[in-house]
Amino acid sequence: MEEPTLRMRKLKVIFPSGRGIIRAVEGVDIDIEKGECVALVGESGCGKSVTSRSIMKLIDSPPALTRVDELYFGGKDIKDFSESEMRKVRGKEMAMIFQDAMEALNPVITCGKQIAEIFLRHHDMDKKEARRETVKALELVGVPEPASRAKNYPHELSGGMRQRVLLAMAFACMPKLILADEPTTSLDVTIQAQVLNELRNLQKSHDVSLLLVTHDLSVVSNLADKVYVMYSGKIVEKASLRQLFEKPHHPYSIGLLNSVPKLSDEESGFEQIPGTVPHPMRKPEGCYFHPRCNHATEKCKKEMPPLSAINDESEVRCWHPRNMEREEAMT
Amino acid sequence: MNKDPIITLENITVDFPVKGGIPFLPKKRLQAVSDVSFSVFPGETFGIVGESGCGKSTLANTMLGIVKPSVGEVTFKGKKLFDLSRKEFKSIRRDMQMIFQDPYSSLNPRFTVFQVIAEPMIISKSATEEEMVERVGELLELVGLSKDDMHRHPSDFSGGQQQRIAIARSIILNPDFLVCDEPVAALDVSVHAQILNLLQDIQERMDITYVLISHNLAMVKNICDRIVVMYLGKVMESGRSEHIFDHAKHPYTHALLSAVLDTNVEEERELVVLKGDIPSPIDPPKGCRFYQRCPYAMQGCRTIPVPQVEIDSGHHVACHYVNGFPEGDKPEDYDKRIEQAHEEANV
Repeated sequence: MEEPTLRMRKLKVIFPSGRGIIRAVEGVDIDIEKGECVALVGESGCGKSVTSRSIMKLIDSPPALTRVDELYFGGKDIKDFSESEMRKVRGKEMAMIFQDAMEALNPVITCGKQIAEIFLRHHDMDKKEARRETVKALELVGVPEPASRAKNYPHELSGGMRQRVLLAMAFACMPKLILADEPTTSLDVTIQAQVLNELRNLQKSHDVSLLLVTHDLSVVSNLADKVYVMYSGKIVEKASLRQLFEKPHHPYSIGLLNSVPKLSDEESGFEQIPGTVPHPMRKPEGCYFHPRCNHATEKCKKEMPPLSAINDESEVRCWHPRNMEREEAMT
Repeated sequence: MNKDPIITLENITVDFPVKGGIPFLPKKRLQAVSDVSFSVFPGETFGIVGESGCGKSTLANTMLGIVKPSVGEVTFKGKKLFDLSRKEFKSIRRDMQMIFQDPYSSLNPRFTVFQVIAEPMIISKSATEEEMVERVGELLELVGLSKDDMHRHPSDFSGGQQQRIAIARSIILNPDFLVCDEPVAALDVSVHAQILNLLQDIQERMDITYVLISHNLAMVKNICDRIVVMYLGKVMESGRSEHIFDHAKHPYTHALLSAVLDTNVEEERELVVLKGDIPSPIDPPKGCRFYQRCPYAMQGCRTIPVPQVEIDSGHHVACHYVNGFPEGDKPEDYDKRIEQAHEEANV
């Protein structure tokens, strides 16, 4: 078997603050195979963005304290890479697409120059070649009239176009892994459909691995092969896309799936998850989800369940997983 | 529905002058809403759907008398909103309230929850201090918070709870008419359902008429009785919920429906991906405003103005492709045309 693009074991990120300690990420394992699209799904504050940023080592320490047992990327152990070593990896082998393109781009530099910077930095190119590659990169992501768009400043482009510029930057060096943090949240629905389409085509045709971080399960359905559901700093369910959407085991995953409004729904009510996400400084004892769970028992209030395999395709962190075969559920 | 409408909009056009331009020449004007008419009846939920820049928020502001239309008339409960005196307007404003998209920026961070919720009562001078405390407590419980939360500040609450506070504030004066401008767009997915259920619950209890503004058709589907789909300031299609969802005719409605992502992995759905971006509403085309992105655009679409044609009782569509051009060229069956277009595309 081929080596995985990313293998991360027991990532922990802590933010100490005056009023207490925020445990943002508590022991997250992530594996991404070559050419695979993995989705990390969770609500705001569950630690999904911190996880993706720590893979790129973009979390400043201090204030944060990061610890990871294993971090292999493309066969290399990057756990102890220094900042200068990481700089050679970022952009070239690992790239990131941010949520808000207006904030990710420099407003006083033209889009073309910002893309060309990547080529100048990572490839031995002169400015002319870099400019030519930039136009090619823009063309790749479906920007009309790429040569003249490259001369525009970010504010002159529409939201969808800006997001494409970010795509172009991420795909510029054809990295092994792209981390996309809520790539379409700030876009309109029809534009979101365009950008997702583009992202999927590029990912499949260039065999790039993708980690898609999102709060919206419906975005995932079109892209991902494998889904990690995160809640309050821990992975609560890990499953193949099909498995998760057809037979979710964790009550939280079920709640998330039900809360997506569907066109096929007939009833007028909306299924809801009661309560809210716990405050990161005041996480409950036992299973973090138990105050919001309909099936919680005494055991759930005391002990945190382990992430255990249910079948080949899914692992779940729950004492009473749902949607099980009858015999298993009895035990 | 033979009741009198609670609010009627007639030929509303709103435009704003654009900053800059050449001095001494007439300023360019941005047409945010163009010739929109509809009525909302008591007790119903009326949906306005469209992407950003389609004028749905401007329309909401016009309904509440915040933005004055350049052409057209808003009639609320039989009174012309923009002909009222200041005093009359103030008293009628009590019956109409609004919920905004971002709960945090719509709540004053320096006020306590009590001050936030009671503010409309303080302004209308309609109650004593004790009455207010009691009423605020009742409302907090109605929206799923507790009485003791009254003395905390908005920043102590999560986004969903803040939206509940905003809802409590909007219903304290017992309004008849409530405009919800993207009430859940800024919230987490798992909280969406809570807020929407709460809104429905309140509607049943207090008999309020809602106008719900959203960009997500799936969200609107099961709450709204009637829906208008807007694009670049114009109404593209309007009708009862089942018209829009089961018998959508306009190509833009189709695109919007297809852009709603589903969690169904079994079924491969046909995706209509529109090309291009939403064009600028400055100097819009004379004909159909959607023609640049329309997959079925024809020669005349650019120049010939599109009328609203009623194709079923209460179901209006503004599209040359569906209705045929006004003169000559008889309207054909829509489905046949789509088939033809597909065949042509395949050849």
